[in-house]
Amino acid sequence: MEKMKLKLLYSDLKPELDMIEKELEQAVDSESLLLNDASLHLLQAGGKRIRPVFVLLAGKFGNYDIDVMKRVAVPLELIHMASLVHDDVIDDSEIRRGRPTVKAQWNNSVAMYTGDFILARALEHITKIESPRVHEILSKTLIEVCRGEIIQIQDKYRLDQNLRDYFRRIKRKTALLISSSCELGALVSGTDEKTAAHLRRFGYFIGMSFQIIDDILDFTSTDEELGKPAGSDFIQGNITLPVLCARKDPELYAMLKANLNKNLSTEERFKVVEAIRNSSGIEEAKAMSERYLQKALRELSFLPKGQGVKTMRKIAFFIGKRKF
Amino acid sequence: MKGHQIQSKIISMEIEVLHAVRQRTLDQFTEGPSVKESRLFFLLLPFFSGKTWSPDIEASAKTVSIVYAALNAHDQIREDTPIIKEQQLTVLAGDLYSGIYYQMLVNTKNIAMVQQLASAIIKVSESKTSFFEEEFRTVEEIESAISVIETELLMSFYTFYGYTEYALLAKQALLYIRYTEELNRLQSNHYSHFLREVTTKLVHENYTKYWLTEKLDSLHEQILASIADCALDYELAQFLLHQITPHQHRAEQLTREG
Repeated sequence: MEKMKLKLLYSDLKPELDMIEKELEQAVDSESLLLNDASLHLLQAGGKRIRPVFVLLAGKFGNYDIDVMKRVAVPLELIHMASLVHDDVIDDSEIRRGRPTVKAQWNNSVAMYTGDFILARALEHITKIESPRVHEILSKTLIEVCRGEIIQIQDKYRLDQNLRDYFRRIKRKTALLISSSCELGALVSGTDEKTAAHLRRFGYFIGMSFQIIDDILDFTSTDEELGKPAGSDFIQGNITLPVLCARKDPELYAMLKANLNKNLSTEERFKVVEAIRNSSGIEEAKAMSERYLQKALRELSFLPKGQGVKTMRKIAFFIGKRKF
Repeated sequence: MKGHQIQSKIISMEIEVLHAVRQRTLDQFTEGPSVKESRLFFLLLPFFSGKTWSPDIEASAKTVSIVYAALNAHDQIREDTPIIKEQQLTVLAGDLYSGIYYQMLVNTKNIAMVQQLASAIIKVSESKTSFFEEEFRTVEEIESAISVIETELLMSFYTFYGYTEYALLAKQALLYIRYTEELNRLQSNHYSHFLREVTTKLVHENYTKYWLTEKLDSLHEQILASIADCALDYELAQFLLHQITPHQHRAEQLTREG
């Protein structure tokens, strides 16, 4: 339902997004029936297509040509998909968006090769763009995203980590790819450097806000809404902002510590989720997300008025208020 | 070029690869990047035999090695069990190496090679996945999948730089090495997907052993012929036969003849 609402916000992009959806399907077409199935399985699980949307919206500030824009939008979504399929192996996730993950439906090896295949398809696509700057940004982003994930594993179960560690992690994990989507959309449509920089920063701030909300929803949503068990981040040892804010309460800290890195029963899991939900951690995290949202909106104020800014503002507000 | 010079160049390439992909956490918790000596040898073969070899080509060869390391990391992931920290980081190591190879080629403005390698990775991934498909395959089709897995990345490098004269020799030698490994696995009862599938087709493991031995002998004959076709100098041929594809009986014979 929420995803539907989000899609309504950029309904004026529907024809282009439908075209990108078809391109994505073609991009994962493979001679291997199994790879085809696994990739389509992943693709059909859907997603908000946030990255292609930001590429297209950023393109509206320059010479918008869908045939050029899709050469960036498609690979960015493919890169995101490839990282998801590998993340499910890392997190041993059985379900994503309410559907079995590739690793659950087949096995870890098939998930690994599916991810490699999709990433290679993304690179094959992006090479149609000749601009060296585009490749510099994208290759750097790929590396930083991986480093973010490595740091995430390094920081797992570390209840005593500082906030800076968390922000550094989500910057690399989420914000950079969204920021690059905006910047690359701006670059390939030939906007001026100043506009591209504002769009890049908008993407970064909105990405940070988006991830914090995601981390809040992991505690505040139901299993059904999430399509996976609530509190999954905590169970997997990922210490997110609501927990980092909530741990100030000594009692809660002790409780979290006691439940960390344990095989929790459903009842125990609910207790942890409930404790975080009732703590000040949720409100504090929301406030932090709001700060990033405001920063994102400020970047939009420097951009030429028009449909692009309007839609970006609506998406930004939606992200700040989304329920799952 | 003398044998020790060849060895030294291979080691230096290996060190450069290690250096390029270094990451503290990965160094601490994973086995680190691994590229077989045989693959490095064939990547460097045009250089060893005196072909045009610019710094850009050398950089490109290094990126192919990094792609091998990336794909190899993902081969180390266990199939069905939940994975532990080392394995989680091995998944990310493979992804990081992929990012690094892309960035290195971008830095040398070699976008065409990015495309070439991406297409090769697609074929390799398709072939690796084919071992999990349920459809019936002939032994020849299985062999063809193995050939792609072992040689496609190298072939894309050779094709890109016009070193195709070494393609046949490299294919034969890399297949020879793979089948030797499979024979060793068979003898120690460590069945790979390849062995399981071939044994199913050939009905019994004894037939698989026989098939592999025959294959190895035949490939060895072909390697000797290809060495002559490529006009490799004596030292290089000896290094290939003794260090890369050791086949004791035949190698001794060649040494005597040489």
